[in-house]
Amino acid sequence: MAEGIQEFNAESARLSKQVHASLVRVESGRWGAGAGTIWHSEGLILTNSHVVRSRRLRVTLPDGRQAPAQVLARSRDLDLAALSLELSELPVIELGNSEALRPGHWVMAFGHPWGVAGAATAGVVIGQGPELLESPAFGGDWLAVGLHYRPGHSGGPLVDSSGRLVGINTVMVGPDVGLAVPVHEIKRFLKNSLQRAAA
Amino acid sequence: MASVIEGLSNELAEMVEAAGPAVVRVEGRRRIPASGILWSEDGIVVTAHHVVKRDDRLSVGLADETQLEAELVGRDPTTDLAVLRVDGAKLPPAATADLEDLSVGHLVLALGRPGRTVQATLGIVSALGTSWQTAAGGTIDRYLQTDVVMYPGFSGGPLVDASGKVLGLNTSALRGVSLSIPSATVGRVVESIISHGRVQRGYLGVGVQPVNLPEALVEELGQETGLILISVEPGSPAEDGGLTLGDTLLSVHGEPVRRLDELMSQLSGDLVGEEVIVRILRGGGVREQKVTVGER
Repeated sequence: MAEGIQEFNAESARLSKQVHASLVRVESGRWGAGAGTIWHSEGLILTNSHVVRSRRLRVTLPDGRQAPAQVLARSRDLDLAALSLELSELPVIELGNSEALRPGHWVMAFGHPWGVAGAATAGVVIGQGPELLESPAFGGDWLAVGLHYRPGHSGGPLVDSSGRLVGINTVMVGPDVGLAVPVHEIKRFLKNSLQRAAA
Repeated sequence: MASVIEGLSNELAEMVEAAGPAVVRVEGRRRIPASGILWSEDGIVVTAHHVVKRDDRLSVGLADETQLEAELVGRDPTTDLAVLRVDGAKLPPAATADLEDLSVGHLVLALGRPGRTVQATLGIVSALGTSWQTAAGGTIDRYLQTDVVMYPGFSGGPLVDASGKVLGLNTSALRGVSLSIPSATVGRVVESIISHGRVQRGYLGVGVQPVNLPEALVEELGQETGLILISVEPGSPAEDGGLTLGDTLLSVHGEPVRRLDELMSQLSGDLVGEEVIVRILRGGGVREQKVTVGER
């Protein structure tokens, strides 16, 4: 009975385990902790700008390794921060195509809500665009999702039905609605700010 | 890998694509616009009564991004529905489904178009019941409750089933309880508003109180209670039909009236102007009177 749902559950567990490998914890001095997502194997982590509240940043990987982190780039409009770590061979998360997301598509978010490490929540895409209700304007797209974001999900990965990264969890705008910065906006942010940093 | 979840994900998005073209934006209040459903090929749009705050300067935004002026055809506050008409909508109307195959636990989507694009939230059917009366006195064919999140501006939009068909119109959400008006009720109200400008309500002109029937008659009548007349308005259809104070109503037009809500739902419009048989208990005997149902 309910074989479809059992299969769904098995896949969902497998996918969660896979995503957990790239989910880190970002401690910001005595300001508490948020989540972060491994973007590049040579020590590039993405998180929310609002998670970074002091210069004394410390990142804990799922395998227990810890390292101090530096802010490479930051945007308050997108609420994004790119951190660098003195660690390599990190398990990166595969990037998905966020521009292909449509209302109704299944998504899962991971983070450390209320300090519960790696907690998952799932739902569907509500919509995507620059002018969603209750979204702060920065000129680019937001991704609105119907799931249960809680404090501590910030900076963690939002993944599609195959476990590929489609966004970074950013804000909750209600008990059941959250906003994420989609991956295509993150790529643009990284390209712009890292080029500027290199120049 | 992840084929079941991917399959579900794509099917959910397909449900949105199937129903999305008939989901419209309704601008009839300040601040956040609401949603509506393109109901028929001749430009009828149905939405929630409570989101249409004014009677003029209404407009409707379609899926093809055209914005059309809309005329208010009528409202039925008792079912929280409002009917608008637009000219020149070139999109197919919503395909509707009845609730026959729906069960508690089924996945459903609520759609809305408060902005330019269609949006969706997911939920399951929480409760399905029989007909019920709203606090305002409207008759809803089936009780349909879900846990879909009503994102701001979703009121008036459709509840969609796995085949992408419209099960009903989402009206209100309170504390995680979302109520939908089934498509059958929406259709009935739309028809009534188009032909009469409003929803007709049948009228007898009586005040009633439920009473227990004499035990000796319970088995014969097949009901335990009836409605005793505690007032009869002078010149009303009831008085013209020979009903008097103290009569106990047993059935109207063949349907038992054991409680007030059963009488209310019997008087929901179809019988206006019809001569119907009213069975009553008078002086210990059952008799039938012919009454022509009036309109309130």
